[in-house]
Amino acid sequence: MAVYERTWRRYSGVLTPLKGRFLVVTKYAVADAFASRLFTAFYAICFLPSVIGLLFIYLSHNAALLQQLGMPADIMEILTKRFFMILFSWQALPAFLVAVIVSPSLISADLANNALPLYLARPIDRREYVLGKMAVLAILLSPMTWIMGLLIFGLQAYFEGGGWWLQNYRIGLAYLVGHLTWIVVISMLSLAISAWVRFKPAARGVLFGIFFILAAFGQAINGVTGTSMGDILNLGRASASVVLAMFGAPTPSGLPVIFNWLTLMVTTVLSVWLINRKLRPHEVVR
Amino acid sequence: MIQTEASSAPAIELDGLTVELGGRPILVDLCASLPGRAIGLLGPNGAGKTTLLRTLLGFFPPASGSAEVLGFSLARQGKELRAHIGYMPENDAFVAGMTAVHFVRLMAELSGLPSEPALERAHETLFYVGLGEARYRKLGTFSTGMKQMVKLAQALVHGPRLLMLDEPTNGLDPPARKRMLELVADIRDRGEANILLSSHLLRDVEELCDEVIILKNGRIAAICDLEAERRANRSFVELELQAPNEAFSAELTKLGCELAVHESGRMKLVLPEGRNIRDLYTLADRLDVGIRHIDLKRDSLQDIFLRAMEDDNGGV
Repeated sequence: MAVYERTWRRYSGVLTPLKGRFLVVTKYAVADAFASRLFTAFYAICFLPSVIGLLFIYLSHNAALLQQLGMPADIMEILTKRFFMILFSWQALPAFLVAVIVSPSLISADLANNALPLYLARPIDRREYVLGKMAVLAILLSPMTWIMGLLIFGLQAYFEGGGWWLQNYRIGLAYLVGHLTWIVVISMLSLAISAWVRFKPAARGVLFGIFFILAAFGQAINGVTGTSMGDILNLGRASASVVLAMFGAPTPSGLPVIFNWLTLMVTTVLSVWLINRKLRPHEVVR
Repeated sequence: MIQTEASSAPAIELDGLTVELGGRPILVDLCASLPGRAIGLLGPNGAGKTTLLRTLLGFFPPASGSAEVLGFSLARQGKELRAHIGYMPENDAFVAGMTAVHFVRLMAELSGLPSEPALERAHETLFYVGLGEARYRKLGTFSTGMKQMVKLAQALVHGPRLLMLDEPTNGLDPPARKRMLELVADIRDRGEANILLSSHLLRDVEELCDEVIILKNGRIAAICDLEAERRANRSFVELELQAPNEAFSAELTKLGCELAVHESGRMKLVLPEGRNIRDLYTLADRLDVGIRHIDLKRDSLQDIFLRAMEDDNGGV
């Protein structure tokens, strides 16, 4: 065991660069998330759809095995777009659940006992603090979504050879842009909720509520007005429509895709505004 | 990036600093140059002490005027400045789910220390503030006194050049208060960090600081060099004789004393360098003069503070 003298002295050693300092916030929050074995196990399970996808791509190019299973040798030619669309949703769902589990305590833990002034009394500002917290979700969600997605896309392109990737570039684009958009929207929304709702289960409930209760409300508006205007409130449908449009597939929303993009953008901007309102280095007494 | 050495600039320089919150002026036209190693920030509740600290940390933008801390401009070099400041806020400030060492290490890394030195210094600092045995306990389980010490540890861990302490003895029992004051005095005496201590407790400020800035209604009511006051206090004497005695007064003048004599036999005098009370007794004995009362005049911080509070217009 180290023996420490009861003394204090100035620090005169090397300092880390200011630009990447916000990643300290990220590092500690990620470590905190993985401190739970249950979460670690769940996180590993979240990769299952992608692993199955990889396996499927491999098997679909193994003619002998396909013959043994009684499946057509050109199964991927038939299934390509459908397979990638299904895989996308099976990647996005666990990502949403990971965000639901991790995000409620990201900001609220610092606000609960007034720790924010201690962060902001150091050489990081509010923007970097939020960036650091957002990076937590980006780091956790990226591997199971767009990184695995592009890996599977790349494997398929490798097996197919020729100009397959060029003919199907929209799939790769949908995986990259679709998942990144999803990560940004869900991160900002969940951080805003974490900033305003300090009780974890309540924060999770609000996040679910925004997706499902607003969707039901939007559905009711659609029913009453006989239009699709209610889809503006349906975040899930807006996300799905944006991604399906990128795949070149029909969208579930009756609105033009630009409205779905608008829904996602307004949600993100509103979330940023809410975070900005709440994150102060001091209590605002009104 | 290597930490730079302390510049010779005053610790704090305020130039017409005005801060408004919600359209209301909280700090008004503060001008001061404070070179002291330990600066006290005094004032009644609501005087603007905490607002001044937070402004110096960059939490509130000045409405007008400017400030420099350790030679860094508040407006242009806020981030660089904060790397050199250790801030201990008045209220509870911690992350309940973290252990003390984890928390202090996080704060050290945020100030720029690489991971390994941050951990090393987190351990050292927690031992220094007396929390060595409790460093693996979660902060949520700490008592008020321990939380105060953790706040001090996180403010110290990165070896700041300026330590800002906002009511550090708040909520502490007498032994814990004594320990806190000893620690701050130790940091001051090591001479490695300037201290800016905000408190409404005159005794704490008098004990620890060599310079005091008194705020009232957001204005500077007085700036006082406590060290100079202490030196002056050592030579200021009030004397009362049994009867007025001109010879005694004349001899005192010969000794080099500055003198003010009252008809009743009372006199106030300032002893010159190298003279002390014993010389007065010797003189009185030689001239056979009876001294009824002798007192070292103490113009205490309390007197200075009360005078500053009585002045309705503020002003230095």
